[in-house]
Amino acid sequence: MYQYDDYDRRIIIDRAQQFRGQVGRRLSGEITEEEFKPLRLQNGLYMQLHAYMLRVAIPYGLLSATQVRKLAHIARTYDRGYGHLTTRQNIQYNWPKLTDVPAILDELASVEMHAVQTSGNCVRNITSDHFAGVARDELEDPRPYCEILRQWSTFHPEFAHLPRKFKIAVTGAPGEDRAAVRFHDIGLRIVENAAGERGFEVIVGGGLGRTPVIGEVVREFLPKRYFLSYIESILRVYNLHGRRDNKYKARIKILVTALGIDEFRRRVEEDWEASRTPELELPDAEIARVSAFFAPPPYETLPETGRVDGIVLGRDRELGHWVRNNVVAHKIPGYSAVVISVKKPGIPPGDVSDTQLDAIADIADRYSFGHVVVTHTQNLVLPDVKTSELSRLHAELRALDLGEANANKLTDVITCPGLDYCDLANARSIPLSLEIAQRFDRIDYLNDVGDVSIKISGCINACGHHHVGNIGILGIDKRGEEFYQLMLGGSPGNDASIGKILGRALAQDEIVDAVEKVLDRYLVTRESPEERFLETVRRVGFDPFKEAVYGSADPLEAAGDAA
Amino acid sequence: MPTPNHWIVTGNFTVDGAVAWRRADGTWSRLIADAALVDEPTAKTVSATAGATEQREICDPYGIEVHFDGTSIDPLTARQRIRANGPTVQLRRPD
Repeated sequence: MYQYDDYDRRIIIDRAQQFRGQVGRRLSGEITEEEFKPLRLQNGLYMQLHAYMLRVAIPYGLLSATQVRKLAHIARTYDRGYGHLTTRQNIQYNWPKLTDVPAILDELASVEMHAVQTSGNCVRNITSDHFAGVARDELEDPRPYCEILRQWSTFHPEFAHLPRKFKIAVTGAPGEDRAAVRFHDIGLRIVENAAGERGFEVIVGGGLGRTPVIGEVVREFLPKRYFLSYIESILRVYNLHGRRDNKYKARIKILVTALGIDEFRRRVEEDWEASRTPELELPDAEIARVSAFFAPPPYETLPETGRVDGIVLGRDRELGHWVRNNVVAHKIPGYSAVVISVKKPGIPPGDVSDTQLDAIADIADRYSFGHVVVTHTQNLVLPDVKTSELSRLHAELRALDLGEANANKLTDVITCPGLDYCDLANARSIPLSLEIAQRFDRIDYLNDVGDVSIKISGCINACGHHHVGNIGILGIDKRGEEFYQLMLGGSPGNDASIGKILGRALAQDEIVDAVEKVLDRYLVTRESPEERFLETVRRVGFDPFKEAVYGSADPLEAAGDAA
Repeated sequence: MPTPNHWIVTGNFTVDGAVAWRRADGTWSRLIADAALVDEPTAKTVSATAGATEQREICDPYGIEVHFDGTSIDPLTARQRIRANGPTVQLRRPD
């Protein structure tokens, strides 16, 4: 993985020192909360319902074991013994004291980490495919380009005050989009042109939130050397023309929609032709230099062990289910990528304790060359595990309450913090997720229902990605009480689609029952066990599901007060 | 639905972000039970004054409507109930 040079180290240490001074001035009364707020947000520090929240950046989700141990130490020493994995591959602490935050930033800087680019109207932490570097379907490892973007965007003076936040995701796997690139402000997909040259398909204007939009292709093939100059032009056009008068209309998706993709493209190309200079070209030598940090670890030459889901299935059913659901084929024979589920019944999704973090670091050292990846689905990945060691690894994870066999299954719910923590939320998310986990915690049922995603957001800002859940749940406020809209049909991948509201909003004690009714209807409606939930919804439409939930497919009756 | 007939003033402590409730003597408590019951105009005036003069201790004070049954103060919204009582889900280490 990337190692800081002196410049990286200096700017992060300097930033931590600056923030120490800013905190001191806030506590002394020298500056007001109004003056302090933009400063703390630039350092990832939010004020939530009960406490401050510090969001720590994890570039493209990749962590070393040393960094994981530091995150455990921070959770234990400065917080309440846990961290929370976010839906943008970061980790956040829900209970830091303002007086401790400077020390936390010093601790982070000591392991080449920080909390910048996790808040504010800047280019946010770059995200990627959580199987980057090891996926069999990958054309090229996207992480060097993520790192180049990280270095380019950090403290970029021109883009420090954009109209709104700006999110970029990169994938190198054309076959399966695990980074949701069509739902980012810029999505980059490594592709090959007809001449066999590698470059990027550039997608722009995607996003979730209040106005969900599927991004559109602004350039079908961008040669690598123009990677930065073209992205600069996109950001420049957005910076100049994006709305600043209304924060709800300020994201680039609104600008792209208003202009139309053709006019937006024309403006970008015009700026690009006028502004690109040799200094912004990305030389092959620089790509090679950064790529060297992501060179494969010293893999052993091992025999291919065949399909991993065949091992030991008959002897240890629990292991068999876990291998089937949580183990992914690796590009190197004899190795596997492992999803550690952080979705255990009774525990808020994505919450990981200090003792678990310490143990995961040790496990990463022993099983996976000291690397761990945070997924946007709020799980962890060990990218490089010998297939022959899966059984032993599973036993260790089980002992840590991290052995759930539910990756990509019904109980692997993406859940925002919701009204239990978040100042923006209208309704709670975590209790619904816990109820779903408890109600459907039957492995045979999970396997029968198959790959179906549930995503829950406590407000329209959509941190829980509800628009792209096969089943999406959105919390809304009705006269101070919590209600939920049920949505069906979303998908974040290559078959991107935005879910639609099924009918009237439901009370908290109705919503999980409604999910069960939807699933029951799916099971009797699917053409075969191979037809996935999303395929069934797309084939039969909403009527059978409306009838199941509301007792009527009548659009007026089912729609009710859907707004 | 309880009858909305009182207001209290709340904010967050600067030092740790904890929920703060304004007492009758003008100091701030971490317990909603300590909050002073006032009318709406008073809540607005007190919030504005505290926001201007007590910002070193308290962030962004504001008034909320509550029900008081003679014994306990009950906020009228889910948000304020959760602010008053803490997260409704398990914490790894409650402190």
